[in-house]
Amino acid sequence: MEFAIFFLFAAIAVIFALVVVLHRNPVVGALSLVASFFALAVMYVLLEAPFVAALQVIVYAGAIMVLFLFVIMLLNLKHVAEPPTRPVQQFLGYTACSAFGIGIVYFLLKYAAFETLPQGYFQADARTIGIRMFEAYVFPFEMVSILLLAAIVGALVLSGRIPGERARLDAEVGK
Amino acid sequence: MIPTHWFLILSGILFTIGVMGVLTRKNGITIFMSIELMVNAVNLTFLAYARQFHDVHGVIFVFFIMAIAAAEAAVGLAIFISLFHHRNTIDVDEANLMHW
Repeated sequence: MEFAIFFLFAAIAVIFALVVVLHRNPVVGALSLVASFFALAVMYVLLEAPFVAALQVIVYAGAIMVLFLFVIMLLNLKHVAEPPTRPVQQFLGYTACSAFGIGIVYFLLKYAAFETLPQGYFQADARTIGIRMFEAYVFPFEMVSILLLAAIVGALVLSGRIPGERARLDAEVGK
Repeated sequence: MIPTHWFLILSGILFTIGVMGVLTRKNGITIFMSIELMVNAVNLTFLAYARQFHDVHGVIFVFFIMAIAAAEAAVGLAIFISLFHHRNTIDVDEANLMHW
């Protein structure tokens, strides 16, 4: 039963990831990426990390992908079709990443295949994670909050919401 | 219970698909989504090893990676909006302001 769920959702994750990469329309790509992230949340449940699975759905599928969809909507890309990739670039890209994929799967099967299953029950619920995080990772936690603040300010400046900032950036670019 | 290396192989396949997107696409937003796909593949690896070794530090790393991916998405998409205002396209070949 567990194996059937694993294979079903692994197939869903891989197929929708391929749609993201191969489809020409970015809106279809973004929605496929949401589906792929939901399948990955099921993987996290199978890995006994239900808290991270909930975060995956709320933060990734909920917040980040909605941001992507809003940006696609704002840019209104309908009238500019994506130009086709150069054949040599396409050939080199597909060849290189096929080699990379075969290499990484071979390496994993050869060197990283664990004979033993993990013994006992691994607890990765919100309580355990919270206690460990505020024991050992208080400083990185605060750093991440400052990083998020910096990202908010940077995003506001870059998208030109501050009066005068846009003109200053344009002047610098034109210089 | 599912063996750990199956999760690792799934993660490797997803990472490879992400690399393929970055190498072969020109649309900036699609390239960005491929990067998110690679980040998620790495998260899956972290969680698989966390379960294998019963170590909650891997789960905490996934937490931090998610926060940093959110910051990265916000700044990166703002850069694409800015690029679109300047060049009226998000084709990454057109983004050659630093080209000399």
